[in-house]
Amino acid sequence: MAILVNRDSRVMVQGITGKFGTQLSELMLDYGTKIVAGVTPGKGGRIHLGVPVYDSIHEAMKQHEIDATMVSVPAPFVRDAAFEAIDAGIPFLVIISDLVPLHDELKIKAYARGKNASYIGPNTPGIIIPGETSLGMMSDSAVMPGAVAVVSRSGTLSDEVASHLSEQGIGQSVVIGLGGDPVVGSRMIDILRLLKEDHATQGVLIVCEIGGTMEEETAEYIRTEFNKPVVAFLAGRTAPRGKVMGHAGAIIMGERGTAESKIRAFLKAGVPVASTLEEVPELARKLLIS
Amino acid sequence: MRLYEYEGKELFRKHGIATPTGILAKTESAVREAAVQIGREVVVKAQVLAGGRGKAGGIRTARNPEEAAAIARELLDSEIQGLNVSRLLIEEKLDIAGELYLGITVDDSKAAIAAMVSAEGGIEIEELARKHPEKIASRLIDPFHGLRTYQAIDLLLQAGAKGEHLVSASNMLSRLYDVFSHYDARFAEINPLVVTGEGAMVAADARLEIDDHSLFRHPELRDLRIEHIENQWERAGVKAGVNYVDLEGSIAVMANGAGLTMAVMDMIKHDGASPACFVDTGGGLSPERMKNAVSLLLKKAQADPRIKVLLIMIRMMMSPPDAVAEGLMAAVNEVPERVPVIAVMRGRAPYENRARELLSNSGIRVHSSIEDGIKEAIAASRGQG
Repeated sequence: MAILVNRDSRVMVQGITGKFGTQLSELMLDYGTKIVAGVTPGKGGRIHLGVPVYDSIHEAMKQHEIDATMVSVPAPFVRDAAFEAIDAGIPFLVIISDLVPLHDELKIKAYARGKNASYIGPNTPGIIIPGETSLGMMSDSAVMPGAVAVVSRSGTLSDEVASHLSEQGIGQSVVIGLGGDPVVGSRMIDILRLLKEDHATQGVLIVCEIGGTMEEETAEYIRTEFNKPVVAFLAGRTAPRGKVMGHAGAIIMGERGTAESKIRAFLKAGVPVASTLEEVPELARKLLIS
Repeated sequence: MRLYEYEGKELFRKHGIATPTGILAKTESAVREAAVQIGREVVVKAQVLAGGRGKAGGIRTARNPEEAAAIARELLDSEIQGLNVSRLLIEEKLDIAGELYLGITVDDSKAAIAAMVSAEGGIEIEELARKHPEKIASRLIDPFHGLRTYQAIDLLLQAGAKGEHLVSASNMLSRLYDVFSHYDARFAEINPLVVTGEGAMVAADARLEIDDHSLFRHPELRDLRIEHIENQWERAGVKAGVNYVDLEGSIAVMANGAGLTMAVMDMIKHDGASPACFVDTGGGLSPERMKNAVSLLLKKAQADPRIKVLLIMIRMMMSPPDAVAEGLMAAVNEVPERVPVIAVMRGRAPYENRARELLSNSGIRVHSSIEDGIKEAIAASRGQG
């Protein structure tokens, strides 16, 4: 059992013929992901990487059943690509594209809410169920099957954290990136709700950053409702106030978003916090013992 | 991208929000001239992209052009919140009968747009929200329908507006929403909206931040982004499509991805050293972006003797090793006299091997463990390389 997707998921790629879409799809096919269809308007009828390409999702769905779609189109087209997938009734979207305008993200969110679609991203590395399927760019060699779920706000750091776990023999039930932007489809709590029921997951490692309030709300949920052990890694604890650390989300404004506030919330919820990547596997190992 | 008050007010006026008569001035004589032209008591306002200007003495009243000139002498080239003052906005002093707060913002935790109104104009909204949340009326706005007239009226009613003021203030809120929506703002705020003695509504301040990712829809604003950055290295970073930040140590750090960059810097600090500055290139790297980022930091290191070493940490997910190595070599070859460069190349096994092979004769020390790379960088920063 896995959350959101599994080895049988039939996957569509929007933007499959683009340079990035091609590179990404090749890696996913290598991993064993069942990509059954691609969509690029104007390129319908072709076979690309062995996958049939359609002009629209509507056309693709006359031929295929789709469980999940990966959106990998340039930022200006992401909003419409997401609307198209949601209108077609595809239950889960992975929006990989980055640099998506904030107001488009707000509209995608409002639209998905109204139609009960769920998604991760934009600006996410995707989701990988080790040994089963991958929708996104997580490295195959970074992960191995196991019982620790990794839920992360970061991209390359998720891959790095998974590597650190695998190098120490700690496998993962899922590695999922929420996306680095302030407005994303799923927040940490949404994923923890799924992990609560997931028999493949014994414990959870959450990879956090300074900025925003997601960690505080997550800690409160863990304290009051979650049923499995959790450990955390927090990036940015030495970041100076008022400087944007890489993306708009990661900034300390006044008292908001500080490492201290997040660590305090985690400790109150009984969640130990690693200060370096090296400490992550030691902490994560405890998830499996308890 | 934050806009200066005078730029925000220009956009306000285009959307029917009245602002005080004002003139932008950059020299003492231009300030005197502006005050003469306005012909009455004026307010001299330092234009800096930081809150708390008033408390820091950046907003002052002058009774006549000579006083305005004297204030200009003090303010020009001074610093407010660490930012240099090079522009002043000279405005007519308003006859204030009342003040309101109007704001439209994005509530990240709810992933929705929020409109906020308060009768306590002039106070910083974060402070008000902390001390007297009951004094702020707010509601979420559907991004497809926008702010409806009745919603604006409801909010103003909650804030205590009545009669003609109720209608005109709610019009202002609707127009502020138009500005927010039209320019893809992260937030748009009028604080305070002044009700004058004659009953007119005038935006005495303008706080506006435009979403950088939307600038392809606003070509007229695109150049402002570069213009607004004071630090030459940050400006070079934006031009190169990467994020540069100044810090105060001896190790220049470059990594791809914000989380990874912060994690690496935390580990450097944990081991007792400090980053001097960093570049976050974002996840996927082309040879060109890689080259731009590395040469930016090598040039910075040449100009700044505190910097002893450059540590590069690349996690190759969608950045093939050939692209990364090509960009890195191109940058290093351009700067023969340079600080030592230590690179950590991580990713799929074939990627790591290929990167190491490509960089084997480059004079760049390549590691496949972050911890080892950091240890060597710290040693090099202390002259033990």
